[in-house]
Amino acid sequence: MLSAQKLLCLLGAIASTLTISAADSVIEGTVTLLSPKADAVAAARYQTSSGKKIGKPDAPVAVIFLEGNFTEAQTGASAAAQMGQTNFQFTPGILVVRKGTTVEFPNFDDDYHNVFSYSKTKRFDLGRYRKGEKPASLLFDQRGVINLRCEIHEHMRGTILVLDTPHFSKTGTNGTYRLERLPAGKFTLKCWRDEKNVAERLVEIKPSETLKIDWPAP
Amino acid sequence: MVIAASLLAAAASAQTTWLDRLDESLSVQSANGFFRSDLSGLLDLEGYFIDQRPPGLIYGNQDLFNPRLSLFLDTRIGPHVYSLVQARFDRGFDPGNHRGGRAGLDEYLLRYTPFADARLNLQAGRFATVVGNWVKRHDSWNNPFINAPVPYENVTILTDHAAPASPTQFLNRRSVPDRKEIWLSTIWGPSYATGASVFGSIERFDYAAEIKNSSLSSRHHAWNPVHVGWSDPTVSARLGYRPGAAWNAGASFSYGTYFLPEARTSLPSGKRLSDFNQITFGCDLSYAWRHWQFWGEIFATRFQVPNVGDADTAAYYLEAKYKLSPRVFTSFRWNQQFFGKVNDGRGGEQTWDHDLWRIETALGYRFDRHLQGKLQYSYSHQQGAFQQGEQLVAAQVTLKF
Repeated sequence: MLSAQKLLCLLGAIASTLTISAADSVIEGTVTLLSPKADAVAAARYQTSSGKKIGKPDAPVAVIFLEGNFTEAQTGASAAAQMGQTNFQFTPGILVVRKGTTVEFPNFDDDYHNVFSYSKTKRFDLGRYRKGEKPASLLFDQRGVINLRCEIHEHMRGTILVLDTPHFSKTGTNGTYRLERLPAGKFTLKCWRDEKNVAERLVEIKPSETLKIDWPAP
Repeated sequence: MVIAASLLAAAASAQTTWLDRLDESLSVQSANGFFRSDLSGLLDLEGYFIDQRPPGLIYGNQDLFNPRLSLFLDTRIGPHVYSLVQARFDRGFDPGNHRGGRAGLDEYLLRYTPFADARLNLQAGRFATVVGNWVKRHDSWNNPFINAPVPYENVTILTDHAAPASPTQFLNRRSVPDRKEIWLSTIWGPSYATGASVFGSIERFDYAAEIKNSSLSSRHHAWNPVHVGWSDPTVSARLGYRPGAAWNAGASFSYGTYFLPEARTSLPSGKRLSDFNQITFGCDLSYAWRHWQFWGEIFATRFQVPNVGDADTAAYYLEAKYKLSPRVFTSFRWNQQFFGKVNDGRGGEQTWDHDLWRIETALGYRFDRHLQGKLQYSYSHQQGAFQQGEQLVAAQVTLKF
């Protein structure tokens, strides 16, 4: 006969094994991405405002994430993140963070930038700051989409996507993605291409399973 | 006006997504992106509440409602060619000077940039002057105020229509209210005259030079090449220096006749239009840091006046803008203009127009990226027997797409 202590140890070991296997599942696939938006004609109407070498914006990507009832410990903030400005573009074009994450906005260009957002999720205006100057870091404590602009350089577009899930991944520019270490259970899987193109489907993840889910063009 | 603004605010708030989509959709481009054209616009609803004769380039003697639609077509053809067309539909280029309505092309230009960097740009067409630093923020979305600074809008007693017959006749104009349809300011707004320019940036220096069909003080009628040709052109230039991102300093110069061709018959015998010029020197400085922006400009101008002599004037302004929050900004501007003395024809000298100061403040609110409201109060005082636009309250709502 097993003693009660041994039985508890055995149950603990089984539970532990289940937990490991439950967090070992994978979803992968390919997203048909949106076409790149053509570069708007940078406003260079008046002579003294021209003369900057403007880089290409990041190619479109999508964000795949799993929604469910995750504990606060699981959804806790990511390490501080950065949304930089390089060659008069936001880098990265899309930044995905967990709710509660602090984001910095370093300027790597030789001119001023003035990042602002009128999005309801987070309204702010950092004012003008130059390379090497540290603008205020901002805490993103509400899930949602924040559209970023620069008051000085109207062509600049950036997005911060704040999620309350620890399970998310940005696709590559070829559309492939892979979500790893997923728990078993029933969840909603979402594919975010932009604010107007969010697709979702219910998924049931089994322990140690690899699901292949592609997202065709919307 | 208030009702219209409220309705517009409510409508725009509900339609922000729609306006965002409109923003994205108003463009055409070739498959490979070599050609791209973007249409954008500003719809302004302005109201002026005037306690007496209106100041500057505001026409009429009563409260005024002034709607305006400006459409901009920015086109890029490959990496080297850019063009801009600006069309406006309004009640006059300056508020109220064409109450029946007007439609016209205010700007059209073609620019060639031969190198990958900005060291050299060649441009031709009808476009804003290279002089000074106000042009960059003169549209209703970027101007923290509703009107222009004093050097760009205060009407003097000079006219481009005819030479004064005598110093007395010239100086007597001081005792009547501004005749805005024929008198001139030192610089007429953004001065969209027609011609060609060369400009560029090399390291921390900017340079720009232009040759145009009419002078800085010329009214919008004279900017049109159909009305005024290039037989007596105006040459202007600006040299700028940017020691860092925060600072921008510049020095400008302009030289050219300010008379219209029809003034030729009124000139003294043997004289030509090119004998009577507007000569302007200007300095500009701007500074920005975080939520503060500062601008200042000073212009010293000499008008060579037939039968009178040299009429000198100096005008400057200092302007500050501060963002109180992501949506709210406030601004403050102090302006002054001084006039030199001319021969009064009776053995003495008199200042040729009334010195003036003006203090202005404005409060702005950006509802979102498409809608902005501004409220402005100005108080002016001129050293004369009567005042013009001592108090001005103006309100403006701008829809941007």
